[in-house]
Amino acid sequence: MSSLLSIFLTCLALILIPCLFIFRRPSVPLFLKKTIIFIKTATSQYNDEEESGTIGGKEKRGRMPKHVAIILDGNRRWANKRGLRVSEGHEAGARRLLEHVMDCFAMGINTISLFAFSTENWGRPDGEVNFLMAMFEKNFKSEMAYYDRYKVKISVIGRRTNMPESLLGLIQEVEEATKSYKEKHLIMAIDYSGRFDILQACKCLAEKTKNGLIQVEDIDERMIDKELMTSCSEYPNPDLLIRTSGEQRISNFFLWQSAYTELYFPNVLWPDFGEAEYLKALTWYQQRQRRFGRRV
Amino acid sequence: MDFNDPMLALSSWIGQIGDFGLGLLWRFIHIVVTLCHIVSGIFEAVESYAISLGLIQKYSSTDIEKLKCLAVVVDIEAARDVSKVVELLEWLTTIGVKQVGLFDSQGLLKKSKDMILEMVPRSVLLQETGEKDTSGIALEFISSSDNKEAVVKAANILFQKYLKSRHPGKDEEGENVFTESHLNEALRVVGESVHVPDLLLVYGPVRSHLGFPAWRLRYTEIVHMGSLKYMRYGSLLKAIHKFTGVRQNYGKGLMVITESRDSNRNF
Repeated sequence: MSSLLSIFLTCLALILIPCLFIFRRPSVPLFLKKTIIFIKTATSQYNDEEESGTIGGKEKRGRMPKHVAIILDGNRRWANKRGLRVSEGHEAGARRLLEHVMDCFAMGINTISLFAFSTENWGRPDGEVNFLMAMFEKNFKSEMAYYDRYKVKISVIGRRTNMPESLLGLIQEVEEATKSYKEKHLIMAIDYSGRFDILQACKCLAEKTKNGLIQVEDIDERMIDKELMTSCSEYPNPDLLIRTSGEQRISNFFLWQSAYTELYFPNVLWPDFGEAEYLKALTWYQQRQRRFGRRV
Repeated sequence: MDFNDPMLALSSWIGQIGDFGLGLLWRFIHIVVTLCHIVSGIFEAVESYAISLGLIQKYSSTDIEKLKCLAVVVDIEAARDVSKVVELLEWLTTIGVKQVGLFDSQGLLKKSKDMILEMVPRSVLLQETGEKDTSGIALEFISSSDNKEAVVKAANILFQKYLKSRHPGKDEEGENVFTESHLNEALRVVGESVHVPDLLLVYGPVRSHLGFPAWRLRYTEIVHMGSLKYMRYGSLLKAIHKFTGVRQNYGKGLMVITESRDSNRNF
């Protein structure tokens, strides 16, 4: 009986799962959601084995990443391809984001970082910048109850000097309201620059040195790690970095933190990055053998 | 009471079947993804051989002028085989690349620096050429010590400057000392290069830059090339050709289409 059921499940998978990788918009979203939950459950057995010590420390295959960073690229190209306005591309990107954040958390990912707006993006046309700031405000307002209900901690990293006051106020409100949550952490990088992150960490250390809290001779890499903006996370270094749209660069995002991060560059625009693409990215990650610069 | 025992046994049995089925499903997904990668790997290998044989016209001319600085990251296992690194450098010389940074996390290539310079024709150390154009290839040898450790050393110079400043503790003083240009200068003082590579080729099993100097990677294109042991000339040429076709906006939008004068409203 058990073998018959297993054969049935396998045949079902044989027919339906390849659809995930062939069709961009599969017509069975309910099955996809369940597939994701299945994977989470299946991989939890590996976590149990790790805790009980039955899997060696160096063997990291088959794990879910604890911290996934995403560069949300391709909204404007998506809109241009469809003859839509760029604002509609950004709105489609925002909807995609909200759809997938909770799925990621359900799969056991603890921290998700989103590169929503870089320092260089201030150079974009005023109309686009104003629209993006307004969109961030609107999303924080509309989703605050949602984050609270699902106990998602929200952190916003980046410079705050150029942001509108209304947005700053909302960010402080959301961060304050969700600061006690631990298991799910969503980091939004707005006006973020990897180089600025390193510089501000150095500046913080310099001030501590001036105040006599530390000595200059004691400053090392670990102390810089602790002053980076990602120190708000339990897992500051991403395990997996996804940049959509096929561009193969990290564009000043998490420069210091990404030394051993697996880089995944799918050739899909962000609004089209669906469940199938997520499944592929996470499965691909699980097949990597990470060495962190050491010999195996 | 008696009724509960069979029910418990049944639910346990169903749970076990479910777990078994889930495991099969998960493994099957991995098989599908692996097959996709194998198939795409085969196509890439065939294309690479076609490029090497000159059968694909578009790769026969590449605008190499756009590639000012190339960096190569080599896995530490691969870095032990200096002959493959030398072969790669010879290919790059043939293609016309003028400046190459070689990185491995443990500094094995640094230790073999003299041997590599001897074996690669017309190669010189980048530090010796400065900004001068050479007929050969200028090489730079980099390791993890040039990454975070170097930034810490450079930061120490800025710390000293900050502590000696006239108005320490004022925010503006910090803003004036801790800038990108000051850190660049401090990195030069501690003997580090601040050349930003245009293209980074990663050879090894992992798709990561393995600790390449973070400060230099801001807009670098990163391409994973697979194993150094099985590297292909066609794949190398394709990666460089593809880079020369990339157009970077550097974060600034150049693709806005507006139809009215009121750009905010029509956006």
